[in-house]
Amino acid sequence: MDLALQLLFTGIGIGAVYALVALGFVLIFRATNVVNFAQGEFSMVAAYLMVVAVEAGLPYWAAFIVALLGMALVGVVFNLGVYYPLRHRTYLPVIIATIGASILLANSVLAIYGPQPQVLEGWFETPGIQVGPVYLDSQYLLIIGVTICLVIFNFWFFEKTLLGKKLQATSQDKEMASLLGISVSTMIMITFIYSAVLGGLAGILVAPVLFVSIQMGSTIALKAFAATIIGGFGDVAGAIIGGLALGVIETFGAAYISVPYKDGFAFLVLIAFLIFRPQGIFGERVAEKA
Amino acid sequence: MPLLEIRNLVVRYGEIEALRGVTCAVEEGQVVTLLGANGAGKSTTLRAISGLAKPTSGDILYDGKSIAGLGPEAIVRMGISHVPEGRRVFPGLTVKENIMLGASNRRAATSEISREADAMFDLFPDIRKFTNALGWTLSGGQLQMVAVARGLMAKPRLLLLDEPSLGLAPVIVQAVFKIISEIRRNTTVLLVEQNARMGLSVADYGYVLETGRIVLGGKPDELWGNEAIRAAYLGGHAKVSA
Repeated sequence: MDLALQLLFTGIGIGAVYALVALGFVLIFRATNVVNFAQGEFSMVAAYLMVVAVEAGLPYWAAFIVALLGMALVGVVFNLGVYYPLRHRTYLPVIIATIGASILLANSVLAIYGPQPQVLEGWFETPGIQVGPVYLDSQYLLIIGVTICLVIFNFWFFEKTLLGKKLQATSQDKEMASLLGISVSTMIMITFIYSAVLGGLAGILVAPVLFVSIQMGSTIALKAFAATIIGGFGDVAGAIIGGLALGVIETFGAAYISVPYKDGFAFLVLIAFLIFRPQGIFGERVAEKA
Repeated sequence: MPLLEIRNLVVRYGEIEALRGVTCAVEEGQVVTLLGANGAGKSTTLRAISGLAKPTSGDILYDGKSIAGLGPEAIVRMGISHVPEGRRVFPGLTVKENIMLGASNRRAATSEISREADAMFDLFPDIRKFTNALGWTLSGGQLQMVAVARGLMAKPRLLLLDEPSLGLAPVIVQAVFKIISEIRRNTTVLLVEQNARMGLSVADYGYVLETGRIVLGGKPDELWGNEAIRAAYLGGHAKVSA
């Protein structure tokens, strides 16, 4: 039982990272009808930015802000360079462009930093606290805390602000949004910036737990992508629930069944969902995406 | 000077010439209706005015200035609001939110927009009880009310209405046209209709479009008395000697 509680905590922590990246997937998908295959690279680039900023001698919090501002800029450049020129084409050229951008980002970082994985220290000096039978790692606590704040912010932003409503309107019917005077290109720009920052935040938060490597982006992105399908593709709540569920499942699978097959459990669950419930957990709410 | 003047407007979709030289005018304060069969180019004319379709040649003058080729976001800011065919109410937003977004073309505080949206329900009492219902849950007539209310939130000088009666039960059509006759008190309206009888009943002037050209124009009673309009209305060839 103690082990199960410990695993649950760790699983939710890692699942929160998947949830943040999955949220980025979903927001871009809803705004542009395109899956952004470079979403995981946002996490990787942010982790490297963080490493660079910390090595440059910035205090941790300042490095954090610099890295996130850097990600906002990456979002702008990504939108202008990858999506904007192809926005009037079908989804296929755009998807291929995001794959190309993902390869470009990974190899640019490789060219600058080399293949050696980097280590990023955690935010807190205290490694963690013991609460009863469960050891709460401080970095996982941070990840969970930030994710909770972001989910609340996300809800407030999309449901309670007029800008959020304009973003939703744009994702539901771009032509009609433009007829009302909503600047569609601005809305899509905001979406890319927000998604890049979300992905970046996930990368920075998870970096002290993993190594900072060129491959970390694709690993996280694959899990996050699986999470969006499990949750119900295109659904915000689904992405968050799917991410958390995936984190818990793979942590339990690794502990009770097999450590080497840890990554396999996520994809087994994905395959099961694709066969038996392809619409995902929240899939029946299709009307929202119509 | 008319509020809107269209000169020799040509619009092509690829190889297809949807408009082949349309010339017409809308005077300020009037309701002008564009009649014609399916595919005659009525919707394309409205789409060209609101910036959704790019004119190949010809000109569109609004308040004396050319707006041909401007984007929809710029045009709605100049005071032309387009309620397109099919209502296009955002399915995942509530009625109130849909209506509030109609004010996206102008700068106003959210609280002010919210008050204006509430006031809109005085003109559309039938949808008041659906204030917080999502768009996809509404019926065709309710959607049309929301779409028109949203279009009016732009505070337009010129309102473009595309087929407001399409697919609605006769009693609902009556209600929609009653609203149009109220709107006209402070807004100029360009109304596209397949239902010629309803269109002409509220209009000051009417044009008949056929395969991308204006074939007739006149006051409602002139048009109604004309043999050709019945033919055009039914999609046949109007033999015009005018």
